Amino acid sequence: MITSIFLIPILFIISSVFLGFSDNFYHLYENLLLEYSLNSIYLVAGVSLLVTILGVSTAWLVTFFNFYGKRFFQWALILPLAVPPYLLAYVFTEFFDFSGTANNILRNLFTTQSDVIFFPNIRTIIGAIIVFGFTLYPYVYMVSRVAFMNIPASVIEASSLLGKNSISTFFGLSIPLIRPAIIAGVALVAMETLADFGAVQHFAIPTFTTGIFRTWTGLYDLNTALQLSTMLLLVIFIFLSVERASRSKIRYVNSVTTSNSYKPIQLMRFKSAAAFFVCLIPVFIGFFLPVLELINWSSQVDTLVSTKIFLAASNTLYISLSAAVLTCFIALLINFVVRTFGISQLLNDLLSLGYAVPGLILAVGITKMFTSVDAWLINYGTFITGSILGLILAYIIKSYAISNIVLNSALNSIPIALDESAQTLGASKLKLLRDIHIPILKTGLLTAFLLVIAELIKELPATLILRPFNFDTLSVSVYLLASEERMFEAAFPGLVIIFFGLIPIYFLNKLILSNNK
Amino acid sequence: MKEFLKVKNINLSFDSKEILKGLNLIIDEGNFVAITGASGSGKTSLLRVICGLESPSQGEIILDNSLLFSRDISVPTEKRNIGLVIQEKVLFPHLSAIQNIEFGISSKKDKQNLSGEIMERLNITQLAEMYPHELSGGESQRVALARSVVMRPKLLMLDEPFTGLDKDLKQKIYPEIKSILRASKITALMVTHDLNEVKALADKCFNLESGQLTEL
Repeated sequence: MITSIFLIPILFIISSVFLGFSDNFYHLYENLLLEYSLNSIYLVAGVSLLVTILGVSTAWLVTFFNFYGKRFFQWALILPLAVPPYLLAYVFTEFFDFSGTANNILRNLFTTQSDVIFFPNIRTIIGAIIVFGFTLYPYVYMVSRVAFMNIPASVIEASSLLGKNSISTFFGLSIPLIRPAIIAGVALVAMETLADFGAVQHFAIPTFTTGIFRTWTGLYDLNTALQLSTMLLLVIFIFLSVERASRSKIRYVNSVTTSNSYKPIQLMRFKSAAAFFVCLIPVFIGFFLPVLELINWSSQVDTLVSTKIFLAASNTLYISLSAAVLTCFIALLINFVVRTFGISQLLNDLLSLGYAVPGLILAVGITKMFTSVDAWLINYGTFITGSILGLILAYIIKSYAISNIVLNSALNSIPIALDESAQTLGASKLKLLRDIHIPILKTGLLTAFLLVIAELIKELPATLILRPFNFDTLSVSVYLLASEERMFEAAFPGLVIIFFGLIPIYFLNKLILSNNK
Repeated sequence: MKEFLKVKNINLSFDSKEILKGLNLIIDEGNFVAITGASGSGKTSLLRVICGLESPSQGEIILDNSLLFSRDISVPTEKRNIGLVIQEKVLFPHLSAIQNIEFGISSKKDKQNLSGEIMERLNITQLAEMYPHELSGGESQRVALARSVVMRPKLLMLDEPFTGLDKDLKQKIYPEIKSILRASKITALMVTHDLNEVKALADKCFNLESGQLTEL
């Protein structure tokens, strides 16, 4: 039953293509679809190139060299993951604006004229590529770092013995060896970029997601919005397949390698400083710049926590906590059933697909599903569209994969012999779950819970559409305040979102370090 | 003596490889039977079939006149009242020794009486509050044994339970186990490849080869 609830919204979206095409669709097809497609292609291509350069180069430096600040950068390079792209977009817009901090600093340094502009308009596709690039490169950094660490020391040493220097070894050997990891990381970034709504909306770039939103809320044409969603979904699933196929190759490469005891090369003076700056730039632009600017904006607001923000924060906590508890409970239950009754892991894979569905599309699918249910419920004088249920369902579908990854690996670390012992001691399935699995999985459950909360707190598109009337969350407040150009007021809730986003960073860092050991 | 465990014409295959072929075994009440055999001969599989962790493709298992398995019936493991002690560390890591021993007992009164009694007899009272990671190999095995025996199983099965223990400790444990099983009138079936263990503990011994048992 849970599988059907997870899949029905997606089936509703896909079924829209069989319901005929309206005039709005033909209008979009003739006038806007090409623009949406080209913008999306430019965006994905530019972001992919930028994240590859940033992610692979920094991972290579911190894996194979010792330089000033390396210990800090090893974990700090993941920090930008805590910053949702829409927040960096808001900061960039203000920071590089005519009267923004960047232009003011340079004007004070180089000229007395107040009308000189040092930075071009940032609200362009290039600006969006920079925003996505600097917030999403950690995906490529993480997979590349783990893959670099798994290259056997003997392979790198053999390359040196054959007369290759570090640069030749990097391009001729290391990059080809970790290519599947890079492709997997870039595919994830491409999916995130295509699924984003907040940043492209703020930069006013017509893409598929903004098109879907406008078609629905502007033209009030849900079916055409669903048809556009189907097209985007198709592209997302292509990237998902690429990511999965590459991931299986990473496993293969890892399984044949031995432990890595490669001794990093010590970089001196100029080279050490160069490595330091190469690593500093992405961390500074992707994390410290937005955080400092948001702190700066917050300090200029008289009332930091207004009643509205306090309400939004409590709504965020309430909805995220409820959804996180439910998600972890469902993931625990399904993993337990899969383990105990020998059901195929395919069920878990199927349920985990939800993370790849953009929040906006999921929201459209859930609305369609709920309106259909309401058509039947109306006889009983009730309806569920616009209730908190839709938002909770969207959150569960979006975050199931995260809790599943954590709980599945935690559960797999419990020897099956323990289950069998409990059975021979007369324990029922319920007792096995309650008295053995749950106590042992305590840490895993807490980890999954925190990771889900961190993910949900920054979620914007699904929340924006599915939230009940007069129910704002932190991300929605930031979005609404930013869309009214009230950036200073948006700063504090933005900082809270970043603070919660640091939780998964902590766990990811621990994961990479344990892999290193 | 009463025929207590009857295993009749059992067949078991994994991926088209036949492990047990029409295997038959009868154990009298209160007896201690040992099974030896080469690695991979199916000794552990036989124990897993008897306690219901594996399902054979054919055959019958009867314990104390109750049908546990046939073509139409398969009693779930947790309802067979068969204890199993294996070589692996299978104490629940989050429970202390005494909590492990009391795990299968449902009544509160029984918990205190039975666990105290068995711990005293196995000389492990001092380990009660310790957790599995604080116990040595021998201590863990004795707690695991106590956990199974305290349930007063109709049949206790031991799968190479003493592997990894040093010789002196084994010599100390053998008589303890024998006396406890005798006193509790528990029928036991042990799988081992150590003939010293067979001599010290078993009333009867079988060899498992080509999926069938022959008495030694």
